[in-house]
Amino acid sequence: MERESAAAIETRGLTKRFGSFTAVDKVSFSVAPGEVFGLLGPNGAGKTTLVRMLTTLLPPSQGHAYVAGIDVGRHPHNVRKLIGVIPQALTSDLDLTGWENVDIYGEFFGLSRRERRMRGQRLLEMVGLKERQHDLVATYSGGMRRRLEIARGLIHSPDVLFLDEPTIGLDPQSRRAVWDLLEQLRKESEITISLTTHYMDEAESLCDRIAIVDGGKVIALDTPVGLKSVVPGSDRIDLAVEHDAAKIAAVLEGQPYLRGVTRDGESRLSLATDDGSHAIPLVLGAVEAAGDRVTSITVHKLSLEDVFIHFTGRTLRDEGAKKVSLLVGAGMPQQPMRR
Amino acid sequence: MRFLAIMRRDLRKLVRNPMTLITTILMPIVYLVIIGNSFQGQLKHLPVALVAQDHGLYARRMVEEMLALQAGPKTLDLSFRDDPGAAIKDARDGVYKGVIVIPPNFSHDVAEGRIGEIGMFTDNVDGVSATALEGAVTEAAGAIRISFVTAREPKLNEIALRPSWLYPYVDYDRSLIPGVIVMAMFMGSLMCGVFNWVMDKFMGVTECYLVTPLSRWDIAGGILASGVTITSTGGMIVLFMGLLITRGTIEGGPIALLTLVGIIVVGSAGLLAMTFAVLGRAGHPRLVGAFSGFLNVILFFPSGAIYPVESFPPWLRTFAKYNPETHAVSAIKQILFKGADFAAVGGDLMFLVGFMLLMLLLASISFKRTL
Repeated sequence: MERESAAAIETRGLTKRFGSFTAVDKVSFSVAPGEVFGLLGPNGAGKTTLVRMLTTLLPPSQGHAYVAGIDVGRHPHNVRKLIGVIPQALTSDLDLTGWENVDIYGEFFGLSRRERRMRGQRLLEMVGLKERQHDLVATYSGGMRRRLEIARGLIHSPDVLFLDEPTIGLDPQSRRAVWDLLEQLRKESEITISLTTHYMDEAESLCDRIAIVDGGKVIALDTPVGLKSVVPGSDRIDLAVEHDAAKIAAVLEGQPYLRGVTRDGESRLSLATDDGSHAIPLVLGAVEAAGDRVTSITVHKLSLEDVFIHFTGRTLRDEGAKKVSLLVGAGMPQQPMRR
Repeated sequence: MRFLAIMRRDLRKLVRNPMTLITTILMPIVYLVIIGNSFQGQLKHLPVALVAQDHGLYARRMVEEMLALQAGPKTLDLSFRDDPGAAIKDARDGVYKGVIVIPPNFSHDVAEGRIGEIGMFTDNVDGVSATALEGAVTEAAGAIRISFVTAREPKLNEIALRPSWLYPYVDYDRSLIPGVIVMAMFMGSLMCGVFNWVMDKFMGVTECYLVTPLSRWDIAGGILASGVTITSTGGMIVLFMGLLITRGTIEGGPIALLTLVGIIVVGSAGLLAMTFAVLGRAGHPRLVGAFSGFLNVILFFPSGAIYPVESFPPWLRTFAKYNPETHAVSAIKQILFKGADFAAVGGDLMFLVGFMLLMLLLASISFKRTL
């Protein structure tokens, strides 16, 4: 099949509407082959809907998406042959062994028995499950299941691998193991990886570029370093005061050694500065001069989380009200309320 | 008083899940209507062939009494036949529940003071109908005794019924086997097919199927094939265990066994496709659970598995006519107990094949390959 795009993933004005609610709104971006691309965003930002369109699970309402150079809307079957998908939920069959899960999945892609055996054994070794491959998945831990699913998703050597929150709910050791696996994949193959995550450290350490999605739109897209450079101040000072944070914020606002002052709750402040160690004594002095007292103060380098908060704000993203079906009741999955 | 908090929580959950409420309140009412009308109703419209080889006075009176049973309580649906052999063959093919033969010398014997004998061949596989039929004919004979007094004082008290069973004796336990097989088919089709699918969907497992090059036909065909395999195997195991427990055999040998396998496979495929057509888009296994009990009751009890269809009120009889389980039970009974051949169950099998094709079509329309 002839490629319609040279990019590994490309979207052009991609839109998804559910009734009058627009979950993904004219999103356009491009991911180069071999790139590890991160999708960051608060809950309900439209990340999962975007990935579901790219993985053929949902048809777009408008616009185009190309994965491995093929139009997702027009040739979903061809796209499916070239992608590997690791959904957020643990989806390996508990009643099958690890090997059976990998083997049957390979059969879905039309691999021969020999190919399945060769690739499957290599992948199970890579994810560290060769010894346990003949045990029922029901006996695996969450981390083992996730590693198995990564092996399963790679059985057909896909061009593009989509991972949706691959380390959610895992303990730190399992998280590190998954990261190591992705690093190894990146080094050993030309595979393109799309990684949806909430973990900033994960995105920062694994991704070449990161798109921050909010309200169904891509609001920032760059390398982790590039994203940080957009935010003023390379250091962050977090402090708590005893009495009136609002008054202290007003006092610190406009100080030449600070690049920004943000209220963070009733008694906390977050200050942006280019030199944290230099600014701390000046901040302490200013607070005392205003008749208040600092109860705690920390300084740290600008993190991706700060960048994320800078772009998406501090407001909690409570999901909109959903229409409860009279037929199925409140305990069932519901559709978003049509507005 | 902390238990009140638990109670309040449960009540709120119940109120906010209407399907559970419907199951709790409405289903028993539906069960009452269906089950209540499926048992102990007066048998009506029993199809019976009457071969009157005697046209004498007492034979005519016997016929009149039976016509009265047809017109009044509507117990019988009489068909007048000339050839007793052909009538008995039709009874064996399931056309009649019994054949009544009034022999050529019946009136003469009665008039001469000898015992007047009436032959009766009943489909004893349906024990309830056979007993009701014998009762009806005995009643007709009894009516002659009361209604007619003649100067010659014939031996009206000695009109005798000579009942014959068309088939080997089937006791009550054995008679339940076809129903149990059909119930195993239904439960198997539900638990192996649509329940697994909806559970996988609920757990997110289907998502990893849908992103592979599997076509909708691959997915649907695979689920159908595994469901039919498990369900049919379950049906056959139930059949052999039933025969073992009741010490029964299959009349008709290997051909009958093959036909039985065919009926079970086609019936299972139809039921599997039906459950997919009805519940394939459910988002939660709870819906499958709630509906499965309902479907089981409305399909099983009016199937004639336990009580004959002839005892149902007209509306339920009409429903039973289009109920796939009625045809599955009927076909299995005919093969298992009557040693009927393929031709004898052709009608039931045709219905089951038609039902299967229709349900496969509906299931394919209902089945979605995207989320």
